[in-house]
Amino acid sequence: MSGSFVIDSLAHAVFWVVVGIVFAGAALAVFPRNIVYNVLGLILCLTGVAALFLYLGSFFLALMQLLIYVGAICIAIVFAIMLSRPLHLEVPKRRMPKLAAGIGAASIFFAAIGAVAWKTAWKPAAERGADWTITTIGHLLLTRYALVFEVISLVLLVAIIGAILTTGFSRRLSS
Amino acid sequence: MNSLSVYLTVAAVLFSLGLFGVLMRRNLIGMLISIELMLNGANLNFMAFNRFLAPEPAVGQIMALFIMGIAAAEAAIGLSIILALFRRLRSINVERAQRLRG
Amino acid sequence: MMWLPHDPVLSAALACATLPFLSMAVILIFTRPYQRLSCAISVGAITVCLGCALYLLITLRHAPAPVEYQWAWIVSSDMVIPFGFLLDRLSLLMLTIVAVISFLVQVYSIGYMHGDPGFSRYYAFQSLFAWAMMTMVIAPGMLQLYIFWELVGLASYLLIGYYYEKWSASQAGKKAFVMTRLGDIGFFLGIITVLLGFGDLGILHMNHAAQAGDIHPAVVTLGAILIFCGVVGKSAQFPLLTWLPDAMEGPTPVSALLHSATMVAAGVYLMSRIFPFFAASPDAMAVALIIGTITMLLASTMAFVTYDIKQVWAYSTVSQLGFMVMSLAAGGYFAGVFHLTTHAGFKALLFLCSGIFIHEYHTNDMREIGRGGGRKLTIPMICMTVGALALAGIFPFSGFFSKEAILGVLAEHPNKLFLGAGLLGAAMTAYYSFRLIFFILFPRSTAEEASHHEEAHGHGDDHGGGHHGHVFWAMAWPVMILATVTLVLGFFQNELQSYLLALEPASHGHEAVEHGGHGVGHYLLLVTAVCLAVGGVFFAYLEFGWKKATQEGFLRKFPAVETLFANRWYMDHFYRKALDLLVYCGFTNVFTRNDRRVIDGGIDGICRFTVGGGRAVSFLQSGMLQYNLVLMVAAVGVLVLVFAL
Repeated sequence: MSGSFVIDSLAHAVFWVVVGIVFAGAALAVFPRNIVYNVLGLILCLTGVAALFLYLGSFFLALMQLLIYVGAICIAIVFAIMLSRPLHLEVPKRRMPKLAAGIGAASIFFAAIGAVAWKTAWKPAAERGADWTITTIGHLLLTRYALVFEVISLVLLVAIIGAILTTGFSRRLSS
Repeated sequence: MNSLSVYLTVAAVLFSLGLFGVLMRRNLIGMLISIELMLNGANLNFMAFNRFLAPEPAVGQIMALFIMGIAAAEAAIGLSIILALFRRLRSINVERAQRLRG
Repeated sequence: MMWLPHDPVLSAALACATLPFLSMAVILIFTRPYQRLSCAISVGAITVCLGCALYLLITLRHAPAPVEYQWAWIVSSDMVIPFGFLLDRLSLLMLTIVAVISFLVQVYSIGYMHGDPGFSRYYAFQSLFAWAMMTMVIAPGMLQLYIFWELVGLASYLLIGYYYEKWSASQAGKKAFVMTRLGDIGFFLGIITVLLGFGDLGILHMNHAAQAGDIHPAVVTLGAILIFCGVVGKSAQFPLLTWLPDAMEGPTPVSALLHSATMVAAGVYLMSRIFPFFAASPDAMAVALIIGTITMLLASTMAFVTYDIKQVWAYSTVSQLGFMVMSLAAGGYFAGVFHLTTHAGFKALLFLCSGIFIHEYHTNDMREIGRGGGRKLTIPMICMTVGALALAGIFPFSGFFSKEAILGVLAEHPNKLFLGAGLLGAAMTAYYSFRLIFFILFPRSTAEEASHHEEAHGHGDDHGGGHHGHVFWAMAWPVMILATVTLVLGFFQNELQSYLLALEPASHGHEAVEHGGHGVGHYLLLVTAVCLAVGGVFFAYLEFGWKKATQEGFLRKFPAVETLFANRWYMDHFYRKALDLLVYCGFTNVFTRNDRRVIDGGIDGICRFTVGGGRAVSFLQSGMLQYNLVLMVAAVGVLVLVFAL
């Protein structure tokens, strides 16, 4: 009893720590004007989100989060930073009106989302399954969601070809 | 701690921070990073609803997977556009991309 | 109508209404390079039409009621505008006349237009002309009639301006088109008046209703006068008569067609077509009578002084049309139509004869033709004399009968002034037509021995045509046929009258023309008219034919009057002045200013406003992606806050 309480309170504490890491990473990803800090912050934040996924009961998604976001996207961004001009050398000053407008718009939007999230009376589904296994996910992907699966594959393919073409064309045009 | 509202709030904070970044950053890569933050916020919402409300736990995870796929595609395209723009303008400052100014 | 053999009549009418059009289309689209083929197609089509017209005339000769084939064309609430054929006695007679004259003219044109580069085009237009006229004649409703009326105008424009490379010809075509169009505006307004006031454009309905007094008298009067404007334009009546003499610029066969059976006859035909409608309005009749009288006298005076052989006939056409209008307006339905018929015959004859002279001597001047030995061409000379005798109203020729009929009608009119004008016109007609004949017959400047020489050769001239080959004979045959018709037609007056008025085919005396009028007075009138005509001829002989004659004409003694006549009473000058003042200085100026200031300025203003507005708002398009985004996000947030909560 007391053991579970300890573990519970420990999990509680760790949860809030994770939330803190997420917020800190997000802030780091947005506010500093140096792009390298931003990438590091993004990595931190994404890792925190992966941990939150663990709390939400999906070990598989947490792994995927790490693999795709941290492992692929962030690395791609780092590559892009290295390929373009070293921007951390050129950091123009922020303009106050723009800052104010951005803060205003973002807070209005936050207020809207938050209001919706808090005001709505969320109701769980009447019957709730407990099947969290990867087997089921794989099964569903190849049966009920086969079409969506194929579409997303097509989107990825087009994205790859588009990316190649965009960079390739621009190289030919600029050179 | 484990209530839906907490997760929704965290997700809203993530989304709004990302939005703020998109609205504020002049660096295109910074904007891309912020967009990733927004997508993560949405992802977190999906997982939270999946955990607390949904009848079938597998469906929400599948949605989250799809969003990751989309995010990957978006990152690929976005980065290639950024590179192309950089070759054109020798800069990735979005405020310099003003060809359509009236 | 079920007692009729349904199909043959309808198909014959359809053939008349479509074949020439098809031939025109085929010629214009396919066979333009092949002149002989085009000619064959056109002449073949008109021959079939002629057959159909004769068939219709013979079949429906005794039909008690008009045969109508109608299809609803425009239906709008209770207003129905039909499209189809109306075959009654008048339209059948006219259809036959049109078909006969068109046929003869087309055959004649084989010779006259031989070797012309635009041969195919000429025949295409001829077909168009025949088609428009025939379909107009058998139109059952005013709107269809109006449409084909305009097509007749178009075809005549094309044919008058046939030698379009000639400035005067294209000008003449334009003049004809515009002047007839002036009248047509009135015509169209008249149709609208009838449509508004009565609601039906069927010719038979209009006639019946007007006779029965179902239409408001004001509507009848207004409609009749407005429709009469169309007649004025088309039949070259008083204010709008100057286009017809200018229309001589076209090829001569075209003039023959134009002057006898188609273009100008259309006006008189229209008037007789809705004669009961006109008759229901005494005011309109009075207007028409006055205009007809003025036209007749004016045109006769103009014919006194011109030396252009075709123009003499043109003025005579105008004056004869004035005669017909007078007759119709005085209530003489049969006399007008009868004169229309006979006039179609002898006027075509006159023009076709002149065409032969012009073709031979390449000049329009009657003195030159005379000097060139015009009388050597025996056949045309005889035929032309026959035509001129008919025109002058000398006894055995057709013109005599119809002119007597008209004078009889005028004699019944309470105002004897019109009778006097008619008699004067008859005398003048005789004078100017024989002035022309004597000019050709007794040329002056050639030596006497030369004329003897010609006399000796005179007999060989029948064969003289022989070495002209088919060109000459293609022109000579139609002329001879027409001359025969002119000789004979007058004796069928009673038959024609009983046919046209649907009387019993019994023998009516000459008095029947007057519907049992005063016998002695009529014979007196007859004798007077013939005496006047003969007097006119004699006077002309004294001045132009007689050996000691000066060939100058009595008008030479009044130079002012002669100039006045030669300048067509300065009507053209008046039109030119009016055109300059009203159109070029008035309207054109206003419209130019309107165009420059209002329209251009307005558009410029709109442009400037748009550009300025764009400039003013373009600061929003700063090219700053993020400002746009800020606004969008804020707006979405506000919308969510407002609506979702």
